[in-house]
Amino acid sequence: MIQATRNYFLFLRRCGRIAFVGDWRYYAWMGLLTAICLFGLNAYCKQLVHGLIVTGMTDEVSWGVYIANFTFLVGVAAAAVMMVIPVYIYGNEDLHDLVIFGELLAVAAIIMCLAFVTVDLGRPDRFWHLIPGIGQFNFPASMLSWDVIVLNGYLLLNVYICGYLLYRRYQKKKPSKWFYYPFVFIAIVWAVSIHTVTAFLYVGLGGRPFWNSAIVGPRFLASAFTAGPALIILALQVVRRVTASAPAGVAVRLRSDVIAAPRQATLKDLDLLAHHLPELDTVSMEDRLASLHGATVLDVAAGDVLLRQGTTEDSAFFVLSGRVVVKREEGGRFRITRSAGPGEQFGEVSALAGTPRVATATAEKRSLVLRLPAASLRRLMQSHKMNEIVQSRMSERLMITDHGLLMLRSIVQVSMLINVFLLLNEVFKEFYSGNLHVASAKYLFIGLHGHYALVPWIWTAIGLNVIAMILLVLPLSRSLKWLNVACVLCIIGIWIEKGMGLVIPGFIPTPLGAIVDYRPSLNETLVCLGIWAFGLLLYTIFLRMAVPILQGRLSKANEGQEL
Amino acid sequence: MENLPEKTRGKNGTKANYWLGGIALGFFGLGAFFLANGGGHPVTQQNIPLVDPKFIATTPWRETYADMVKANEDLSDYDCYGCHEKNNPPPIRYDANQKIIIPKEHSDIVMAHGAHDRNNLCYNCHNEQNLLTLQVRDGREIKFDNIPQLCGSCHGPTLRDWEAGAHGRTSGYWDRSLGGIQRLSCANCHNPHAPRIPTREPAPGPHPLRGPAPAPANPETAR
Amino acid sequence: MSRRNFLRGAVAVSGLTALAASLSPLLELSDFTNVDQFMQKYYKKMTPADMAKVLTRIEGEVQRQYGIRPHVRDYKPMDGVEFVYCLNLTRCIGCRKCVHACVAENNQSRNPEIQYIRVLKLPHGSLDVDKADHNYAPAAVPEPGFFYMPVQCQQCKNPPCVKVCPVHATWQETDGITVIDYSWCIGCRYCEAACPYFARRFNFADPQIPKDRLNPNMSYLGNRPRKRGVMEKCHFCIQRTRAGRYPACVEVCPVGARKFGNILDPESEVSYILREKRIFIQLKEEMGTSPRFFYYFDV
Repeated sequence: MIQATRNYFLFLRRCGRIAFVGDWRYYAWMGLLTAICLFGLNAYCKQLVHGLIVTGMTDEVSWGVYIANFTFLVGVAAAAVMMVIPVYIYGNEDLHDLVIFGELLAVAAIIMCLAFVTVDLGRPDRFWHLIPGIGQFNFPASMLSWDVIVLNGYLLLNVYICGYLLYRRYQKKKPSKWFYYPFVFIAIVWAVSIHTVTAFLYVGLGGRPFWNSAIVGPRFLASAFTAGPALIILALQVVRRVTASAPAGVAVRLRSDVIAAPRQATLKDLDLLAHHLPELDTVSMEDRLASLHGATVLDVAAGDVLLRQGTTEDSAFFVLSGRVVVKREEGGRFRITRSAGPGEQFGEVSALAGTPRVATATAEKRSLVLRLPAASLRRLMQSHKMNEIVQSRMSERLMITDHGLLMLRSIVQVSMLINVFLLLNEVFKEFYSGNLHVASAKYLFIGLHGHYALVPWIWTAIGLNVIAMILLVLPLSRSLKWLNVACVLCIIGIWIEKGMGLVIPGFIPTPLGAIVDYRPSLNETLVCLGIWAFGLLLYTIFLRMAVPILQGRLSKANEGQEL
Repeated sequence: MENLPEKTRGKNGTKANYWLGGIALGFFGLGAFFLANGGGHPVTQQNIPLVDPKFIATTPWRETYADMVKANEDLSDYDCYGCHEKNNPPPIRYDANQKIIIPKEHSDIVMAHGAHDRNNLCYNCHNEQNLLTLQVRDGREIKFDNIPQLCGSCHGPTLRDWEAGAHGRTSGYWDRSLGGIQRLSCANCHNPHAPRIPTREPAPGPHPLRGPAPAPANPETAR
Repeated sequence: MSRRNFLRGAVAVSGLTALAASLSPLLELSDFTNVDQFMQKYYKKMTPADMAKVLTRIEGEVQRQYGIRPHVRDYKPMDGVEFVYCLNLTRCIGCRKCVHACVAENNQSRNPEIQYIRVLKLPHGSLDVDKADHNYAPAAVPEPGFFYMPVQCQQCKNPPCVKVCPVHATWQETDGITVIDYSWCIGCRYCEAACPYFARRFNFADPQIPKDRLNPNMSYLGNRPRKRGVMEKCHFCIQRTRAGRYPACVEVCPVGARKFGNILDPESEVSYILREKRIFIQLKEEMGTSPRFFYYFDV
């Protein structure tokens, strides 16, 4: 028990340390984000001292960009987890590791949401009044109390799931289904609930006719499922880029394609392998001898290529000593998908399935490698335990395939179509009947009594959304360049639509008909930027820890080694 | 330096060091900037003048005879027989358009009681037999400090409302068991000769939290 | 130590310095809260002894800030009393004296300006608030072709603000007044979003009250001075009405358009009005808020 705790703390310490290690781009990025965070913190301190008068909010428009950003980010958090559905319900393996990136984004987004709500409070020191039992928690009447529960619960769920999955990966152990499957399914339902509850915050206010409409909830979800996966599409490509080792085409300095002649494998080699892979001991002597047929051992130096992406051959490899790095060309650059140490395998998927190699394997340093024909590997896998370990390790790779990105694209595509359709519904409902509750919609879309502040914003947002929708529907967006354009348009369009297009017009005109324009102040903007920078900072740190674990380069096996 | 491309590993060391050094200097500079900025004064407050105390005064617009008596004020204005003769009711004169001619001794009076000069006869209310009292149409005499009965003889619904407290201001205690009330009488608000309430200057409108007060809406565009 | 580690350390130190410097505005944060204020219990959970201590503390705070020792009491609702407000729209002339009397009585901030009552100028024939003018400033009122409707907290029977407050900082008392505990409010402004009558106000900055205009007759749930970051609104002048007196707006109205009283007393003027007047309305009745504020006309 104590040892387990100590191991866990060591894991956390290593993760923490790796957050401070990187190349100049990493330092520059983190430095910039930290500086922006500090500006935001400074601005917030001024707000604490002087009060919310430093923002642009008034009694007439009493919620502004803080709550607008909060609303947008709850949607991102909800959508990040919805990617989980294709993986766990439809068993789509391409997205398997990407689920973790989605959940980590959800964690960062929820923390940003909590930050935005806190900076909006007039008396944040009185937060303890919200704690049930100690304070006076108005549950279930107040939708804000529901929001407090679902947001914090969602944060805990995702932190647990990510933490568990990453720690098991770190330990090179298969995650136990019972420890995470139920939570994943709860998280899927919970994700829908966090955004519905946030929508109900607005819908439940009878005094604000612009919000008091049944369509607000579905619109929230539709826009969330557009913006969230769009953000993830972009984030994944960034991850792909920054973990790339070199552009494809630039010769990764390979020593030679000609490797010293392999020699026949013997039982002693299998024993050496069993030293690192104890499951091999369960293989019967008969199967072991049979597997040696056609098996060879290669002695390679750093840089030697063991197999190439795109070629087809049926051998699987086990590392006996040293280390082999498996790189995959994606989007024009090489990326490390996994790193195999003694006892670990590579090349087994193509060997067993007969498909072309998906990556290139090169030795990182002087290594001894056992090469088995597919038939040999199958003989070894007659043993139940051996079968299990090989199968489980097959999924230990970090692949960000274009196919996975295209699957996300289809989520964005459908969601944006629904989003635009719901917008048309809303516009019709507001303007066709000509009744008088239309004042807020008028203010937003065409201006009211000489006030036009939001009109350019909403039409820009609609324009961006429609162009994005058209792009997404066209096959043109199957190419990553256009897909990225569409994603950026989606994110900006939906951010404007949810912020300027939903929160602010609900307040204008006031319930007594007055029109007071809202414009965020410099201080308010700095606080928002600070929180966004903080969220990006967190997400970068999360990725900085998760990617090496998923690649297998940060694991229990290499504890004690210099990173 | 695990995932770094081999080709840049050599140069990367120095470049990263330069960046780290630059970032450290940048943070020191940022710290100095924050300290120099101090708390900052991110808001400029506008000048909102305090309201004139006349707008929160509760003094009634007019003083009635009853108020003057209570305050021991000079009642010589009400000493009708100081000028008029007893048993000799003053005549009322009209001009060619049937409009009443106000004698110069009473030039402070403007007659505007009733539309179309309906109530043009002084003795509709004043008692020609006894100028120190007032009279109702059915002959009852009303004292000057009890005018609601006179006004109410024509303005019945208003009298009913006034008696119940629904017309005219009541101040004091809504809970009569804890204290008394002060009722305003008709003449506290209405000039008996020109009872329509005159227009008055309103108190200033609301000042928004920031920026200048918006202009009043244009009446033509009062939709 | 390698150069890289030294530089990382330098960045860490400089980062922490920048962090500390960014927090420097907090040095001016003197009176935000203290232990007693922070730990103060919820109003409904306070014993009379707790409340007595809190009232003494508040009196001390006000004296320190304004130089005047006020008298702060915790008025409880009277039995058998439910307050109702009636406002005669035939009579209101739009002079706004009620607005300013309220400000003076209830120690509202003059700058930033907080006013619980908002007088709407509406054209004849319409109760559509989108046609209202809040900022009329003619030489004289009333203006022909318009009427005036003052709006303040309607003390609804079914208040949306009470429903949405996440910490129960606002609730309705037995005499019908919806009150706010200024020491409990967290300033989330959800109630302000929920109110259909624009009745609630938020303290965006520290309220400024001229010392010579401070009303020292205070109540805990009513007109004791507030701090920045909390909500406030009309409370029917609790310090007056729970002592049996009329609210300040009723006292000052020069035309007697405002009527206030106990609806459970059949002799009160408000009972008379609701019994005898044929036409009286509640603002935005369709919201289901069931206001205790009635606008009536002289028929």
